[in-house]
Amino acid sequence: MGGPVLFGVRHLSPGAAYHLRRALDEAQPRLVLVEGPSDLNGQTHWLCHPDTQFPAAIMAYTITPPVRTILYPFAVYSPEIQAILWAHAHGVECRFMDLPSPVFLALQAAAEERALAEEDGEERGEDVPEAASGGPLPGKDPALTTEAIYHRLESLTGEDHDTFWERTFEQLEAPEEYRAACNTFGIQLREAAQDNIARTAENLVREAYMKRVIQDAIDSGVPAERIFCVCGAFHVQGLETCQPMTDSEMESLPRLDSAATLMPYSYFRLSSRSGYGAGNRAPAYFEILWDAMNGGKGIGEAPCLYLTRLAAAHRGTGNLVSSAEVIEAARLAEVLRAMRGSRYPTLQDLRDAAVATMGHGRFSELSLAAADTEIGKKIGFLPEGVSRTSVQEDFYRQLKALRLDKFRSPELQRLDLDLREKLTVKSRDAALGDLRRSFFLHRLRVLNIQFARRLPSRQREANWGEYWEMRWTPEAEIEVVESSLLGDTIEGAAAFALKERAGASSSIAQAAAIFSDAFLCGMPEAAKHALSVLQGLSVDAAALTEVAATAEQLSLVIRYGSLRQFDAAPVVPLLEQLYLRACLTLEDACVCDAQAAPAVTQAIDSLNALQLNHDFLDEGSWLSLLERVSDRDDLNTRCSGFAMAALLERGAADENLLAREVSRRLSPGVPADLGAGWFEGLAGKNRYALIARLGLWRRLDEYLQELDEESFRRALVFLRRAFANFSPSEKNDIAENLGEIWGVNVQQAAEALMNDLTSAEQEVLSSLDEFDFDDI
Amino acid sequence: MSNQNVQRLPAEELYQRELDALISAETDPVPTGWRMSPRSALAYLTGGISVKGVEITPKYMGSRRLVEIAIATLVTDRALLLIGEPGTAKSWLSEHLSAAVNGDSTKVVQGTAGTTEEQIRYSWNYAMLIAKGPCPEAMVKSPVYRAMETGSIARVEEISRCASEVQDALISILSEKRLSVPELGLEVPARKGFSVIATANTRDKGVNDMSAALKRRFNIVVLPAPSDMATEMEIVSTRVAQLSAGLDLSARQPDGDVVEKVVTIFRELRGGATLDGKQKLKATSGVLSTAEAISLLANSMALAGSFGDGRVSDADLAAALQGAVVKDEDKDKLAWKEYLENVMKKRGSAWLPLYRACRELNG
Repeated sequence: MGGPVLFGVRHLSPGAAYHLRRALDEAQPRLVLVEGPSDLNGQTHWLCHPDTQFPAAIMAYTITPPVRTILYPFAVYSPEIQAILWAHAHGVECRFMDLPSPVFLALQAAAEERALAEEDGEERGEDVPEAASGGPLPGKDPALTTEAIYHRLESLTGEDHDTFWERTFEQLEAPEEYRAACNTFGIQLREAAQDNIARTAENLVREAYMKRVIQDAIDSGVPAERIFCVCGAFHVQGLETCQPMTDSEMESLPRLDSAATLMPYSYFRLSSRSGYGAGNRAPAYFEILWDAMNGGKGIGEAPCLYLTRLAAAHRGTGNLVSSAEVIEAARLAEVLRAMRGSRYPTLQDLRDAAVATMGHGRFSELSLAAADTEIGKKIGFLPEGVSRTSVQEDFYRQLKALRLDKFRSPELQRLDLDLREKLTVKSRDAALGDLRRSFFLHRLRVLNIQFARRLPSRQREANWGEYWEMRWTPEAEIEVVESSLLGDTIEGAAAFALKERAGASSSIAQAAAIFSDAFLCGMPEAAKHALSVLQGLSVDAAALTEVAATAEQLSLVIRYGSLRQFDAAPVVPLLEQLYLRACLTLEDACVCDAQAAPAVTQAIDSLNALQLNHDFLDEGSWLSLLERVSDRDDLNTRCSGFAMAALLERGAADENLLAREVSRRLSPGVPADLGAGWFEGLAGKNRYALIARLGLWRRLDEYLQELDEESFRRALVFLRRAFANFSPSEKNDIAENLGEIWGVNVQQAAEALMNDLTSAEQEVLSSLDEFDFDDI
Repeated sequence: MSNQNVQRLPAEELYQRELDALISAETDPVPTGWRMSPRSALAYLTGGISVKGVEITPKYMGSRRLVEIAIATLVTDRALLLIGEPGTAKSWLSEHLSAAVNGDSTKVVQGTAGTTEEQIRYSWNYAMLIAKGPCPEAMVKSPVYRAMETGSIARVEEISRCASEVQDALISILSEKRLSVPELGLEVPARKGFSVIATANTRDKGVNDMSAALKRRFNIVVLPAPSDMATEMEIVSTRVAQLSAGLDLSARQPDGDVVEKVVTIFRELRGGATLDGKQKLKATSGVLSTAEAISLLANSMALAGSFGDGRVSDADLAAALQGAVVKDEDKDKLAWKEYLENVMKKRGSAWLPLYRACRELNG
């Protein structure tokens, strides 16, 4: 007919790619036009680079927030890629012909706004403006969208759309047959489906634009019949009939400022994006198909390849698969194919056959192997220096410099870091290698780049170990690109992110978290900034527990700062301030109910540790404060008891004082909740000192003996809580004490303490749960 | 020709019209030893079409794909093993498969703890054996033996209930496809078309694990419980109608909402949560399969027809439900009572009469 060749394809279809190459060989065009954003022609050069490995994707993104992205993923069996590669190999010019990416991004933004407006409209019960212009609203008539047509096809054939496509189109071997079938499908889909206005409009605009590109090419002197267009089968008819876009129409297209980059992609991600054109569910299987088509034996070899790989993968996960089972699976798949009337078994047939023979009827048994064989772990690779954002470049440079590049794989890997300076190596860089890695990983964490995840420390007494779990995903790549909005390097972006967070923080706990993040990232400037924010906020902070927790965090920085080569001197004054504030408010905070008491005792404990760890905090005033808390009768007795324990531990209380306190707190007539509460506080710390003092237990025993039934039950609740986290050996020691007091055999006492509760006892105890604590 | 007074006709006699219609309309190639093509067998089982004016009723109302795999397995002369919880139509499917393929679903070995190897292979008529010595006339052939001779399908029901040595007897038959009779110096080769359909229970007391060697000789298809409410209701109402016609129950068919109630209760107690997923429930010890729901409704119809006014009343239903749900006295009774109070009571007026009737039985 003399016009340009329009070759309709399905995106990510090996069959289409295969026939496309044959058609190109035959047509020998002078210009190849491919459906793809026309402003990104510069990227095709890299796609043809010999070092490039697919899957890869072109990503276009807006350069101002909110970040919008569009992705064009390609696998080696993408028809578009094969067209580009063919053109490159034959020295033929090749260009993209679809709308430029800034227009796509603007259209995407408009669609989102429309969806929001519609939601609002529905909420208010109003009509959305478009409703007046006639036609069903987007989403209002789901029966006619392309998706709905696919669903109808699925219910008619009883197979999902991918299987339908594979059985009907993918297996056609004659090129003319394939083209005819594909175009017919496209035309009929166009007739049957009526998408909503917005989507139809977008398709029309795209087709008009593509037509314009074709027209421009013809005008520039390329004979029409020597132009070869690769586009979705859906668009073939549109391109044949529509008018090219005019200049004024092109002017009026919306645009958003954007940039684009190539990125490696993964089969996993390709499979998880659903929908026509966006991805396919079994990329690794499709690659098998593609290999088989281009191999000597043709597509008929694919079933054997699939089944043997599946069996190998299943064996790899520790299962037994005999060759006989594989043969049976192939035979069964063959019969299933015959019943459906296709030429070759489809993935569905193969998998069902494998489940019946190798999987004992359950797909779950094969699921790991199937994921490996159908989806695969393949991840793309781009050569060095492929145009990237500066953050990406910085990221990859550092990855290499820190020798972390081997972790750039989809396998989950462990990385253990030793932050100490290594004194045996010569260069300073090498000596601090692990520390630098740690800085880098923490910066990624601050930027929300999901590449490394920190595991809890396994060290008890030391702090120089850091444990990470690394896994590379294409999402991480996208996140790296997104952080280019924050700065030009990883460090710059992290600093900006921390600064933003610091500005938005409203409590000292938040500010302290940001400070310690900056500390972990090894960024003194950012840390200083966070510190000043923290200082500002700390003036108004009054809650004891919050102040104590923050002070504890700062203390960590001071103590271990040198490990991370961090100058902690500026932190000291702030710590002093916070410590002072905590000391001043401590006494008041001890006036609290039973529920708040644990938090207060925790604060006392951490302040006590602070004072012990830092000489610049005054010891004398701390001890006298503890004594006051311990002495006063009007505070929560649990806090007083805990203060007593702290004094005992530090050797600031002698036997006489303890004896006096015990008999005072546990003297007859003291209500059970006060007495037992005090004991609970006392038992919260330094238990060996308690266990060693027989007199204490004698006194406790006497106190409990004289309680009446009701008060005893009350006391029991507190005591049970107090002893709950004693270790078995500690309980044993207590048993020894009690044995001595009661004059019974130690063994018997221990048995009584350690044995499981009898059901009768259990019942009594559970009745305590319903105890009325309102008046405590 | 067949006696209409038997309690239960085999599938091939009950659906003879359908089978004949499918055979006479056959266009696809028929495998050796089969009576119809695999596609016709699929049509017979999944139904929903009419051939030569004969309506083909659906026999198995679950995933069509599973039936396809089952039939395809028999085409490859592999043995087929149907696994599933009690009441998921394993035996039903196996019976209809062999009816479709051979027009004979009666070559059955019923697997029990007392099944012996002889019942899989062959045994002797001892009177004749003593009188004449070993001779072909004195031999009592097992269903499997006969299936090998005629090239047809033998069914082994509840294979996991058999002792392992009995299961092992199948291994050599399935791999060698020959059976030797040393007493007569005979080697019986299986003719083309021979295959075995076995069924096995996964969740029952007293089942023996199958050896890997035996499993390897089967293609295994796991039959699931009906996936959604609508499918299960359809299965239950169709089967109740067929059953009551066969049993001459003089009661009317239960209404749609009665079936709905029973299926709802069964699905909720089976799944351990209300259908909307908002409330967790105590599960009962019984399996509460679809098959049980069917027999429960048939039971209430029998009650209504014999002692009532021919309409399934709420009292009949309550009595039947009580029997089906409460198996292990204490625990189930508690779960059932909780279900009555927490779920059924709050379902509104349509459920109230049934609730009252159930409540009465539980004091």
